[in-house]
Amino acid sequence: MNWEGNAGCTWGESSATSDDAHISIRNLVKIFKRDESETVVLDNFTLDIRKGELITLVGPSGSGKTTILRLIAGLIEPTSGEIHIDGRPCAAPGSDRGMVFQDFALFPWRSVRKNVEFGLELAGIPKEERKERAEKYIKLAGLEKFIDSRVHELSGGMKQRVGIARALVGHPDVILMDEPFGSLDAQTRNIMQVQLLKILEKTDQTIVFVTHSVDEAVFLSDRIVVLTKRPAAIKEIIDIPWPRPRDRADREFAALRKRILTELEEENVMDY
Amino acid sequence: MSRILGIKYDENNKNHRFARTLVIAVISLTLFILVWWAVSVVTGNTAIPTPLETWNALVDLYLNGDRMTHRTLGQYISASLSTFVRGFILALAVAVPLGLVLGYSKLLRDFSNPVIEVLRPIAPIAWAPIFILSLGYTIGPMLVVFVGIFFPLLTNVIFGVRKIDPNWIDAAKTLGASQLQVFYKVMVPSAVPYVMNGIKIGLGIGWMCIVAAELYATPLMGIGFYLATQANAGYWPGAYAGLVIIGVLGLLTVGVADLIHRIVAKRTGMDV
Repeated sequence: MNWEGNAGCTWGESSATSDDAHISIRNLVKIFKRDESETVVLDNFTLDIRKGELITLVGPSGSGKTTILRLIAGLIEPTSGEIHIDGRPCAAPGSDRGMVFQDFALFPWRSVRKNVEFGLELAGIPKEERKERAEKYIKLAGLEKFIDSRVHELSGGMKQRVGIARALVGHPDVILMDEPFGSLDAQTRNIMQVQLLKILEKTDQTIVFVTHSVDEAVFLSDRIVVLTKRPAAIKEIIDIPWPRPRDRADREFAALRKRILTELEEENVMDY
Repeated sequence: MSRILGIKYDENNKNHRFARTLVIAVISLTLFILVWWAVSVVTGNTAIPTPLETWNALVDLYLNGDRMTHRTLGQYISASLSTFVRGFILALAVAVPLGLVLGYSKLLRDFSNPVIEVLRPIAPIAWAPIFILSLGYTIGPMLVVFVGIFFPLLTNVIFGVRKIDPNWIDAAKTLGASQLQVFYKVMVPSAVPYVMNGIKIGLGIGWMCIVAAELYATPLMGIGFYLATQANAGYWPGAYAGLVIIGVLGLLTVGVADLIHRIVAKRTGMDV
């Protein structure tokens, strides 16, 4: 497989906008103001995300990746610009967009089961159905032995699997993942990436994934959006049509990784 | 494994550690009693009875009741405890909901803070003559206990709500929680360990208050009243027996609160 040839990945050809957009981000501007200081995090950011794809945002630290995610989630409001999901404007947070957090954000006073059931409880789903659905996703996450454990009894990797199960169980259209494996050690991280792909095989959700790790992005993504430093603009969008599971030792894999790393270094940040 | 005074001691053995603590505590208390005894004998002052005289007064009170008032030890204790419990429940009922609301709303917090900060430094005992003389012997002492417990509890609850991990709130919102649901499904449970901490501190202060309040509110016939009548009659061993009872009951109260606090910390996975 040669990424420069027909069967390989292509870059520069995928555009930021398309007609079949699932999530349409238009002219997004986000300025954080505090007293006299003003930080322009996003300036006229536009991107379309397709239904069912796993799209990764990589960029230098502080480039505004997480801000984009939080804007899609509706946790913060844009200074100007619009985000639509299937034509509906998204302002406030809602259960149609699940989120997975870097530091897990699990509720320590709840068991694994109760954490996963949280969203279903809010939606007023009856107890029996809640139990059934939670158990299905806990099983999918490989945590059936820990279903009644408390969160603090779990390892980091297990905690994040709870986080993923909690986000998936309500069948949101979109899952927003904010450096979900960023606080895990390298080995656990690789295992989690494989497990994430396995879990996602059984679902058709759109995944917007923010990461610092180019390696992780190349391993997981259908498309990678390379961002510039703040204010974030799209440097390049890369399609990766390679089948999964991908082999990190593969020549193309390594070459693409190196290429993206070089691009990021051009942004003047040493960031892996 | 090491040796202390020739005795084998293993720091990693739970029983050894417990035995060590116990032995030190016994030595400490024994020394305290010996010093007390020595002071009593050396000064020859009848206002400082020996530990043995105090013990005898205590046993006499237990077996024969108060010879002056014909009340039993149980009656004294239950009178004090009943006032204490009522003040405690009132403080709990007011401080916890108020603390949750004030922790949540910056507007209400900024609004009430000046008043709280003016009232808080006033020693609860300073309220005793006012409450007791204006509101009577039933409500007055109860309100003194209330004031003693109220402020530490309130500040802890406010602190607990404010210390909440903002990621928990974001997680709940992306799982579809309304403002109200965020409040009672996330903020309230996450504040529970802080409530427990406030209770623990408040109980100690509250117990000091009840005894002091009883010095004013003589018809209540609590332990504080017993102490005062014994001292007034010049029967010092009886007065000291009263002190011992107050100390032991206070220790038990705080011990129970500490136990509950630990159970809650374990159950919720949050230690404060």
